[in-house]
Amino acid sequence: MSFQTHDARILEVKELTSREKLFTLRFLDPEINRKFKYKPGQFVVVDIRGFGEFPISLCSTPTREGYFQLCVRRVGRMTKYMHNLKEGDIVGIRGPYGNGFPMEKMEGSTLILVAGGLGMAPLRSVLWYALDSGKYEKIYLFYGTKAYEDILFRDEIIHLLKHGEDMNCHVKLAYEVESPSCIYLEKGYSPRVCKGVVTDLFRGESFDVNNTYALICGPPVMYKFVIKELLDRKLSPGRIYMTLERRMRCGVGKCGHCIVGTSTSIKYVCKDGPVFTYWDALSTRGLI
Amino acid sequence: MRYVKLPEENFEEFFNSLKKWGIVYAPVKKENIYSFQKVQNVSEIALDYTRTMLPPKKFFVRPKDEMLKLKEGHWEEANGTEPIVLFGVHSCDIHGLEILDKVYLSDPVDPYYKKRRENSIIIGISCMPDEYCFCKSLGTDFAMHGFDLFLHELPDGWLVRVGSVKGHEIAWGTEELFEELTEEDMKNFREFEEKRANSFQKHLNKEGLEDMLDLAYNSPVWKKYERICLGCGNCNMVCPTCRCYEVCDLWMNAYEAVRVRRYDSCFMESHGLVAGGHNFRPTRLDRFRHRYYCKSYFDPSAGFNCVGCGRCDEFCPAKIEHVKVLDEVREGLQ
Repeated sequence: MSFQTHDARILEVKELTSREKLFTLRFLDPEINRKFKYKPGQFVVVDIRGFGEFPISLCSTPTREGYFQLCVRRVGRMTKYMHNLKEGDIVGIRGPYGNGFPMEKMEGSTLILVAGGLGMAPLRSVLWYALDSGKYEKIYLFYGTKAYEDILFRDEIIHLLKHGEDMNCHVKLAYEVESPSCIYLEKGYSPRVCKGVVTDLFRGESFDVNNTYALICGPPVMYKFVIKELLDRKLSPGRIYMTLERRMRCGVGKCGHCIVGTSTSIKYVCKDGPVFTYWDALSTRGLI
Repeated sequence: MRYVKLPEENFEEFFNSLKKWGIVYAPVKKENIYSFQKVQNVSEIALDYTRTMLPPKKFFVRPKDEMLKLKEGHWEEANGTEPIVLFGVHSCDIHGLEILDKVYLSDPVDPYYKKRRENSIIIGISCMPDEYCFCKSLGTDFAMHGFDLFLHELPDGWLVRVGSVKGHEIAWGTEELFEELTEEDMKNFREFEEKRANSFQKHLNKEGLEDMLDLAYNSPVWKKYERICLGCGNCNMVCPTCRCYEVCDLWMNAYEAVRVRRYDSCFMESHGLVAGGHNFRPTRLDRFRHRYYCKSYFDPSAGFNCVGCGRCDEFCPAKIEHVKVLDEVREGLQ
C-alpha cells in the first residue's frame, strides 16, 4: 500500500442544501473502476492535490455500479475547496476503508435506520442497498433533521414517504424548526412527519427484537437517546450498529488520531470501525 | 543465538568496518543531551550514554517526513532511503522499534517505514540503568530479537550476540577481529547482567495494570495531574512507541507541492477534533488520561505500549513521573 490516490472525475455536482453537495464520481482508469468494491458504511479519503486529504463516507450503494457518491458538508478549508469543484474536475481517491455494516448477516431481518442530520449520508448507502437487494423483511428509516431546508436527499425522502410502503420501506421524519414547507409535509404524511426529535419517531412502533437490527448515524449527542429507546424495547446491544466519526488521517490504523478506548481495549475507528455495535461501546470507553 | 567476543583493541577497527554497510549513527553527547548523530570516529561516540532525547524511531517515523511530491499534477513517491547502521541502541529502544513494527508492518504495510527498516542495521549495546529507567518491570531490559548484533560490556572487550543473518554477515566480514568466548568472559557477562538487574531504582507494578486502570477511569488522580501537566506533548515526542502523525500538503512553488507527515501529539487540542469543531477529547484531563491508557494498553501479541525507557520522565518540564502516576491511580482504587 502506498498513500498514492487514484484519479477520479466528478461526473455531477448536485446541491443538496446550502451546506451540502452531492458529488458523483468515477475513476479515470476503468480497471480501478472495476476493482472498486465497497460496503455500505465504508469510507474513502479524498485527496485535493496540494491542499490535503479528508475522510468521507460513501453515500451511494455498491448495488449500483460504475460510479460512487460522496455527500460533502462545507465545514472547513478542504470541504470549501471541494465545494468549488465543478463537473469534469479531478480529485484523488484512496480506499475504501473500514469495516462497513454487516449487510449479509442482517439479511431476512427488519432494519431500523436512525439518522440525524448528516448521518443520513452513510445510511443512504444502507437504505438503497437494502431496497435494491430486496433481501430484508422491512426497512424503517427514522430521520431527524433541523429544518425542511436541511433534509438531505429531500427528493428521495419525499419519494419514499409517498411510495415507500410498496417497497416495505417505512419512512418517518422529525424536524425541529417549523416552516410552511414542514407543515405542508406534516399535513400530507401525518403522523409520519412530525415536529420533534428523532426518538419521537419510535412512538407507536413495535419490533420483533429477535429479528431486528438498528443502524444509527448522527451527531454524538444523538446516540445516547436513540440507544436508550432501543434498549427500552429490549433490543440486544449486539444488534445495534452505529457508525462513528473521528479525525482519520491515514485511514489504515497508523496515524493514531482515531484511537479510542482504554488500557483493556484500544480500537482504531478507521480500521476496527467505523461501524461498531453498542456492545463494542459498552466494552470500549470513549467510543460514543 | 551465536556468541562471539570482540576484544577491546579490535573495537575501533570493527566500528570502522561498519561504514561499508551504511551511514553510521551513534549516540553523541552535546552538553547534557545525548542524540543519535552521524559519526565518523569512535572518539565521537558516548558509549556509556543513558538515553538519547529522541529515540531511534526518528529514523523510521521521521519528525517531518516527505511522502509524496506533486509534479505536473501527479503525485510521485518522495526520495528513496539510504542504508543506515544504528550503532549503540539500548534494549528498551529495540523493544520500542518492535512495537512500531507491529503497527507499521501490519496489513496494510506502511511502505516508507518498511523500506527504512529493511535498509537499517541495528547494533545494540548494554547499559546501566539510571534513576528514570523501569524497563526491567516491563521485561524490556533484555532484547532477544530485533537486532543484528548486540554488544555486552566485558572488562576487556565485548561479548557479542549475533541476532540475524545480516549480523552474522557483518561479523563474518571481519572475522579476524572476533574470538571465541572463554569461561571467564561468560562469568563476566553474568556478573554485569546481575549488577545491572540490581541497579534499578524504579519499579512499575504491572500486575493487572490494564484492568486496574480501566476501573480507575474516574480516579481523582487524573484530575490532580490535569492541573500539573502543561500539555506540551514533550512526552509524546520523546516516547519510543508514540507514533501519531499529522499529514499536510505544502507548496514548494506555484507548480510543486509535497505531502508531508509530521509528529502529532495526543496532548494537542486538535488531536481529537473532527469536522465542524466537535472535540472528542476536549479537556486536558481527557488527553492526559488518554495517553496513560494508550501507553498501558496490553496487546497480547506485542505487550505493553511502554518500554520503560524513562524519557517521558526525564524530559517532562512539569516533572511528572510515569510510574508514580500509575502507582497513585492504583493506590486510589484500594
